[in-house]
Amino acid sequence: MNKIKTLTLVDDDDVFVFLTKKTIQETKLIELIKVFENGLDALNFLIDNKNDLDALPEIILLDLSMPIMNGWQFLDEYVKLYPSLGKKITIYICSSSISPDDITRAKSISAVSDYIIKPISKDKFIDMIKNL
Amino acid sequence: MEKITDYKYALDESSIIAITDQKGIIKHVNENFCKISKYSIEELIGQDHRIINSAYHSKEFIKDLWTTIANGKVWKGELKNKAKDGTIYWVDTTIVPFLDAIGKPYQYVAIRYDITNRKKGEEELKTSLKEVSDYKYALDESAIVAITDQKGIIKHVNENFCKISKYSAEELIGQDHRIINSGYHSKEFIKDLWTTIANGKVWKGELKNKAKDGSTYWVDTTIVPFLNQVGKPYQYVAIRSDITQSKLSVEQIKANNVKAIEYARILEIKNTQLVDFCNIVSHNLRAPLINISMLVDFLETSQDEDETQKVLSKIKPVVNHLMEVFNELVESIQVKQDTEIKSDQIGLKECLEKILIGFETQIKEYQASIQHDINEASNLFFPQKYIESILTNLISNALKYKSPNRTPIIKIKTQYQSPSSILLSVSDNGLGIDLVMHKDQIFKIRKVFHKHPDAKGFGLFMIKTQVDAMGGRIWAESQPGIGSTFFVEFINQK
Repeated sequence: MNKIKTLTLVDDDDVFVFLTKKTIQETKLIELIKVFENGLDALNFLIDNKNDLDALPEIILLDLSMPIMNGWQFLDEYVKLYPSLGKKITIYICSSSISPDDITRAKSISAVSDYIIKPISKDKFIDMIKNL
Repeated sequence: MEKITDYKYALDESSIIAITDQKGIIKHVNENFCKISKYSIEELIGQDHRIINSAYHSKEFIKDLWTTIANGKVWKGELKNKAKDGTIYWVDTTIVPFLDAIGKPYQYVAIRYDITNRKKGEEELKTSLKEVSDYKYALDESAIVAITDQKGIIKHVNENFCKISKYSAEELIGQDHRIINSGYHSKEFIKDLWTTIANGKVWKGELKNKAKDGSTYWVDTTIVPFLNQVGKPYQYVAIRSDITQSKLSVEQIKANNVKAIEYARILEIKNTQLVDFCNIVSHNLRAPLINISMLVDFLETSQDEDETQKVLSKIKPVVNHLMEVFNELVESIQVKQDTEIKSDQIGLKECLEKILIGFETQIKEYQASIQHDINEASNLFFPQKYIESILTNLISNALKYKSPNRTPIIKIKTQYQSPSSILLSVSDNGLGIDLVMHKDQIFKIRKVFHKHPDAKGFGLFMIKTQVDAMGGRIWAESQPGIGSTFFVEFINQK
């Protein structure tokens, strides 16, 4: 398994971020974890670094419910931005919502690779990387 | 003697004359007789008088005639006779018996006058009278009939009219026709009716009338004005038929439709609430639970004492958060269930002033200007608790999300939207919300749009729940960087 350089967590829940970061670090599969606490901050980072291949992440774990700009709104903007990005980014929605509405909606967006229901365990994360 | 000849001449000229013997055999006829009977003298003389019998009269009638004259008495009457060509003519007839020495008739002199035209007229009149009375009978049997004079005073009503209106004829005659007015129709409608008939035109339409016992009935109505020589109506004949049943079913269907639409609307609201509730449970309650379970998992495997302490310290805020969300949820459900909440007579102005006292420190600190115009619409019947909650939240938001670039100006205004609803608007010059992006979100639980430490995403959710529960509406207009206006429609609960 190739080591992934950068993973971005977009989530406003600091307890979840704290624990998930630890879980991911224990797998030793990711070099760098970047965190944004809402969609807008993440989007602005992508726009600012759209040609900087080193700065752009390989994977984004995207929460749905966030202030300022939520996950859906981020995806709307991302779909517009995507063609101008210098790198292929894999996006996983990572939400505590088990509402079928959310899951169906996520499946309908082609930019989204999968819908992961929180929490993320070490095994679940390793599987995810394997299937990349 | 000459005098008698003159009389005979006059009689011959003016009358139809025939003379028969005692058996009825014609002995003499004059020219007039030939003219009307279309026989020649030769054809008549020697014939039985029955040659002109039309067989119209009954045997008794003829027998009475003969009995009278055979007894030597004069007979007078109207006879229908038949001419040679079969046509019929009427004659006013006087038959005078001429008596012999022993008082027996030896001949009869019949003097007739042609009354065919008069008889025809009479017969026609009779026929048309019968026709009219047949029509009247048919109308009386089938329809509800009333006749009023030109002022609307009832002159005649038929049985059907009494039956449907539940008044007796005595109670109705002489009364103004408005006695059965139900008050249902508009002034314009009634005015149009009277204008039409007063101008001599027929009016047709459906009317809702009121019976004596207060019940109402629908009638399909035709009013025909009867005009005098100068073309002015002197009476009106109103012919009606009962259409109450069909009207009722139409009204029932309409009412059912309105009800069905209302139920569908309520159901839709309930469904939306249920979906919202499901989302709240599946996300807002589940998120802190996951955090707790992850923290506990971590504690179980952790060896590092420092780390264990750090993780332990994170549990408490998560539990508090879970409690908070849980309580909010319970509170919002109570609003939804509390359909029987008591409403109070509220002076919005006094209520607002009381609430503003609570914000005094903040208003001073921000140097905020609060302008209110509540004089026009201040009185409302509504749950006091909800009014306070709605005003407090809107003012609190307007202050909380002020722009850093300008001192806050908050304008609060009320106006009557209809006699039973008041529109409240609270506008600020604060940060504003991007409604293009957040349009579906602003009144949802735990949705926040600004990085503010006190932003919880509960206030707008809660007041929307309260407004909805009272049948009102809440919406917002906003532009980022310019400000927001929130509108609340209060339905007066009285």
